[in-house]
Amino acid sequence: MIEELSRYITEDLINDPDFGTLETDEDLLGSGLLDSLGMMRLVGFIENNYGIKVPTEDLTMENFMSVETIEKYVNSKK
Amino acid sequence: MDYSFSQEQLAYKEKVIAFAKEAFPESYLEADLNSVFSKEAWMKCAEFGLQGLAIPKEYGGTGDEIDLITACLAMEGLGYACRDNGLAFGINAQLWTVEYPIVLFGTEEQKKKYLPRMAAGEWMGCHALSEPDAGSDVYSMKTTATKVDGGYLLNGHKHYITFGPVGDVILVFATTDPNKGAWGITAFMVEKGMKGFTQGENRPKMGLRTVPFGDLFFEDCFVPEENRLGPEGAGWSITNSSLEHDRCTILAGQLGTMQYQLEETVAYVRKRKQYGQAIGKFQSVSNRVADMKLRLELSKLLLYKVAWMKNKGETSMMESALLKLYMSESFIESSLDAIRNHGAPGYISEFEVERNLRDAVGGVIYAGTSDIQRNIISKLLGL
Ligand SMILES: Cc1cc2nc3c(=O)[nH]c(=O)nc-3n(C[C@H](O)[C@H](O)[C@H](O)COP(=O)(O)OP(=O)(O)OC[C@H]3O[C@@H](n4cnc5c(N)ncnc54)[C@H](O)[C@@H]3O)c2cc1C
Repeated sequence: MIEELSRYITEDLINDPDFGTLETDEDLLGSGLLDSLGMMRLVGFIENNYGIKVPTEDLTMENFMSVETIEKYVNSKK
Repeated sequence: MDYSFSQEQLAYKEKVIAFAKEAFPESYLEADLNSVFSKEAWMKCAEFGLQGLAIPKEYGGTGDEIDLITACLAMEGLGYACRDNGLAFGINAQLWTVEYPIVLFGTEEQKKKYLPRMAAGEWMGCHALSEPDAGSDVYSMKTTATKVDGGYLLNGHKHYITFGPVGDVILVFATTDPNKGAWGITAFMVEKGMKGFTQGENRPKMGLRTVPFGDLFFEDCFVPEENRLGPEGAGWSITNSSLEHDRCTILAGQLGTMQYQLEETVAYVRKRKQYGQAIGKFQSVSNRVADMKLRLELSKLLLYKVAWMKNKGETSMMESALLKLYMSESFIESSLDAIRNHGAPGYISEFEVERNLRDAVGGVIYAGTSDIQRNIISKLLGL
């Protein structure tokens, strides 16, 4: 899942040929790497690919800060 | 896709139309000229139940459950039958950007304290995000909330706030940790009269003049811990969800207004005669009417689609952006066409045709400007 998420974030959301590699503990929203729209697209990707529903209340830093925290969150919801 | 609505949903819209026709005056010339807000009209809507559309029944809400389609149809009905565009705009802002976040994130105490009072019209709610240095780039906000014993001290300045001068309860966003960027944004319920909190005067504006609008100042304003909405850092998520609903329903009022505007324009061009015939017989005039109808129908399809998707719990980023962009721009275009077709009476305030154009312009600015909607659409297309 980590690989899949990282690929989606880098290729589809960051979409910048000059961007290096995404660290799995890198802050996605707080660092400005993704904007709100990017985060919401990521949520859509997660819902479609991992068969879970993300309620608004779950969109917190603990759950969605980095690829690592997202993986933990998704596994906990499965 | 099936956008058909239930009998109850459609019947509620008809009830709103009948209520608004009876409750509100035909002319808003003076109220617009002098930027007068009517608390009486606000209370009438609350008595009818409009402010309760985003609230569960147990906290004073209107329906058995919150139904976005019913809310959209109700706002459409209000926009159609009430000539004060500010009223639907203001109610909608309170429904989705103040009440609904409390429903989603509030504690039991917060729900009991705020929701019944807002449903009853007793308290008016505002949503305070924008700041002098944070408009479209809203998460660059500078207002801070510093943790102190028992609560937080708020410092900062919010501006362009709908109902800012008259609000009783303000949902304020501030950063509790500037190092965390958007994750550091936290929401607070600030109440009128709290020490260190000042509400500015109404700031005169181009349109929607019946809605007071202004600045809010926070100087070491102590907000007790129990007034924090959601956990620290939930501000981003709160804003995101409420603005999505707001974008959808805020335009529903405009849809009703556009329907009325079309009917009124058709009636006028059938009646007004020049060169011995009704001006509607001139193709230049009727072409504008046809364009107005097309904009109305496309707007309706987009709006109903978004409401339908959201009601099913689907994400509708692309559809919401298309809707917000198309409908707000269409209302401006159709208002201009209505003015052109009326000639000078369209331009002169006393006939109350030109007001729609002034009211429409705000729509391409608030809840994400047209440029921002285009950015969203193109990003979603992979650009
Ligand atoms: C009637 C009305 C009611 C409002 N009510 C509220 C309220 O209740 N609460 C609240 O918090 N705020 C409210 N606002 C404020 C509103 O949210 C802001 O005006 C809006 O977000 C735009 O910010 P700005 O005015 O600072 O413009 P700016 O962000 O400074 O934009 C100026 C221009 O630059 C363009 N621009 C900016 N960034 C970009 C970009 N990335 N790409 C392309 N173009 C860009 C804009 O599209 C615009 O043309 C209200 C505004 C209006 C008009």
